[in-house]
Amino acid sequence: MERKTVGVVGAGTMGAGIALVCMRGGHRVKLLDANQAVLEKAFGYMQSVLSRDVEKGKISEEQRAETLQRLERVSDMEQLSDCDVVIEAVPERIDLKKRIFADLVRICSNDALLLTNTSSFSITEIAGGLAHPERILGLHFFNPAPVMPLVEVIRGKKSGEEQAQAVYRFARELGKVPVMVTDTPGFIVNRVARPYYNEALRILGDHVADVERIDRIMKLAGGFKMGPFELQDMIGIDVNFATTQSVYTDFFQEGRFKPSRIQQRMVQAGTLGRKTGEGFYDYKK
Amino acid sequence: MTTKNKAVLVVGDSPLQTELQQLIAEKGYTALPLSEAALQSDSIVLALEVNNVDLEAKAAHLRQLDELLAPEVPIVTTSLAITATEAASWTAHPERICGFGTLVPLAERELFEIAPALQTADEVVRQVEEFFQSLGKETEVVSDEVGLVFPRILTLIINEAAFALMERIATAEDIDTAMKKGTNYPYGPLEWADRIGLDEIYAISRGLHRDLAEERYRTAPLLRKLVLAKRLGVRTGQGFYNYSEAKGD
Repeated sequence: MERKTVGVVGAGTMGAGIALVCMRGGHRVKLLDANQAVLEKAFGYMQSVLSRDVEKGKISEEQRAETLQRLERVSDMEQLSDCDVVIEAVPERIDLKKRIFADLVRICSNDALLLTNTSSFSITEIAGGLAHPERILGLHFFNPAPVMPLVEVIRGKKSGEEQAQAVYRFARELGKVPVMVTDTPGFIVNRVARPYYNEALRILGDHVADVERIDRIMKLAGGFKMGPFELQDMIGIDVNFATTQSVYTDFFQEGRFKPSRIQQRMVQAGTLGRKTGEGFYDYKK
Repeated sequence: MTTKNKAVLVVGDSPLQTELQQLIAEKGYTALPLSEAALQSDSIVLALEVNNVDLEAKAAHLRQLDELLAPEVPIVTTSLAITATEAASWTAHPERICGFGTLVPLAERELFEIAPALQTADEVVRQVEEFFQSLGKETEVVSDEVGLVFPRILTLIINEAAFALMERIATAEDIDTAMKKGTNYPYGPLEWADRIGLDEIYAISRGLHRDLAEERYRTAPLLRKLVLAKRLGVRTGQGFYNYSEAKGD
């Protein structure tokens, strides 16, 4: 495997996780964030994950040190100029992402693969109007990135076939399971999984069954690991609602994706799931 | 409940029929087909009716069972493609009709859902719960709507995967891989549909669209066409995937 220099833009939860995946994969990683405290926190997270690996006997103390040495924390975008691959993982704001890609296109070589970890924006839109759009693709990791095996490789309207294959290989060499998908709302997972939440909400709203019953049925009759309501509480009801709204809007109000008023009311009330102590279930007890 | 000398009728054309017959026999009941019902009607404690695709056949079978069996014998009918309330409305003794829903393979179902019709007597619901528990399954009673809970949610997931495949946003393999590795589904939706039978999934989708009449429940054209072409999944050698060309092992 070829050792690459990988830039990761944004050192939040996803950025830190993706950077760690790349470091473990043997690549040199430049993790960029304008906020020094966020970079520190990301480094602390990596240290603790790798320490646990040492404790479990998965890696040696020496390997831990080597892995951490592959990381360079940077605060200026210009420092990404020598990267072979850049993965953008900043908050989901289209203006922010477009600005970052406009900079990356200027700073990086034409051969560099410029990838976005977006879960809700069109790759085609992010790449729109930029030079050499064939090198811009989506590489969508799932949270937590070091644990979840799947990555979606998303081809925008102008993404190149050769580049798509290169991203696929890169993901595979990271030990991930890549799938190829064209640039459509929600890609595969966030689209096909919508009914698991939305139809459960509809069944709840129509009083066919209550929260506990639906969760129990989906686990015992369906073999799902978590019921749809437990899962929404874990994901965050605001996050889940935002994903549904985004898919619904991008499919031009296709009825299959219509959001649920039950979720909307919960978001309005600040009842967001585990993180607020209350969602479909009460976690304060 | 003791199962000795108790006969259960299993009627209808569905993959559920064979599996229910097997399960019932394993638990010590005598599983009877409709043809033997008249001869042994005294020993029949309960009848199961499982047609989902052909609703005219379902109505005919239910009426036949209703005439044949003493009015206190529960008739438990799949409410996958139609509500139990509508099925009960076809009979002269609607209080003994009760809905239920599950999908093959039954070995993977720890729980069966029961959906009483509006007309179902409480005593009948209790008997049906006891009967499924005697088959080693847990039960949950839900209100009567097409597809109950698990079959309805799974059908919508499969239908969405079928739309995605029809639009060729990804291959069938990649759609299935994504759902297993990205969200921990026990099976990919397309391979899952092939194991259940695309005709059963289509019957649920069509039933939801018919009864609830919303764009939300529109069947993916690819799913409908595969059923019309008799590509029903593993059972017929081809569905979303082709099984006939697989290396023989």
